[in-house]
Amino acid sequence: MVSLNAVLLISFGLFSIGIAGVLIRRNALVILMCVELMLNAANLNFIAFARHSGSVSGQAFALLVMGFAAAEVAVGLALVVALYRKRDTVQVDDINLLKG
Amino acid sequence: MEHLLETIGRNLFAIFGVMALGSAAFMVASRSAVHSVLGFLFTMLCIAGCFLALEAEFLGMAQILVYAGGIVVLFLFVVMLVEMSKKSGAQVFQLQSRYAVAAVLIGAALFVGVFRKVIFGAASAEALVLRPGLAQGLDVAKQNAQAVSRGLFADYLLPFEILSVILLVALVGAVVLAKTERV
Repeated sequence: MVSLNAVLLISFGLFSIGIAGVLIRRNALVILMCVELMLNAANLNFIAFARHSGSVSGQAFALLVMGFAAAEVAVGLALVVALYRKRDTVQVDDINLLKG
Repeated sequence: MEHLLETIGRNLFAIFGVMALGSAAFMVASRSAVHSVLGFLFTMLCIAGCFLALEAEFLGMAQILVYAGGIVVLFLFVVMLVEMSKKSGAQVFQLQSRYAVAAVLIGAALFVGVFRKVIFGAASAEALVLRPGLAQGLDVAKQNAQAVSRGLFADYLLPFEILSVILLVALVGAVVLAKTERV
């Protein structure tokens, strides 16, 4: 039996790495991957609490989150490709169209 | 040997969790985007292992299918499309990353401070407990996928349908965003 604290610790670590990646990386693709990592950390929490309470709701919602993540990746990657067509770069520091 | 295997079996979650943390760190730190995708793939497989260790068999398999099978391939595809003409010597990290790391560390310290005292009660003995009406004619402990689907479609039918609409909208949106401007 896995203790809930261990799961929370692991998923907290994964979420922190994801946030750090979003904040410090310049490549838009890696930033998208880090967002996926954060969604997965949340999923891990859902499943851990579902296991802890014996309720099926956590697992059902983890499945829904997984589908939502797939939709998000599709749109995000399409945005990256469109951006690359327009600006010829995927580095977020080079994307300053809104700067006056 | 048997003793060793038994120890590994008892600590499967910790092993997969630590491997997931390590490969996630590799994903964030590596210079090449292809290496990042490989780190992402390994992280997702380790998280699937964590799901299996938490007795969510169906979700573990779904994780492998959706992430390792679908999303990683999509990422690799776009990386190959976009990164081939990259200029060498570009900076990996953003200019303000020092402050970002400091902010994350402060957030981590606050999290540990807030949840330090949380004490959790004993876990339930069964991995899943369905309502008596739902569990009819089902061995919940052995048939994880059936149990999850009964819970999902009994209580969360509307979110499920909304999700399918979201997926459709995302599909159309992705096609519209990625199509070329010609004609």
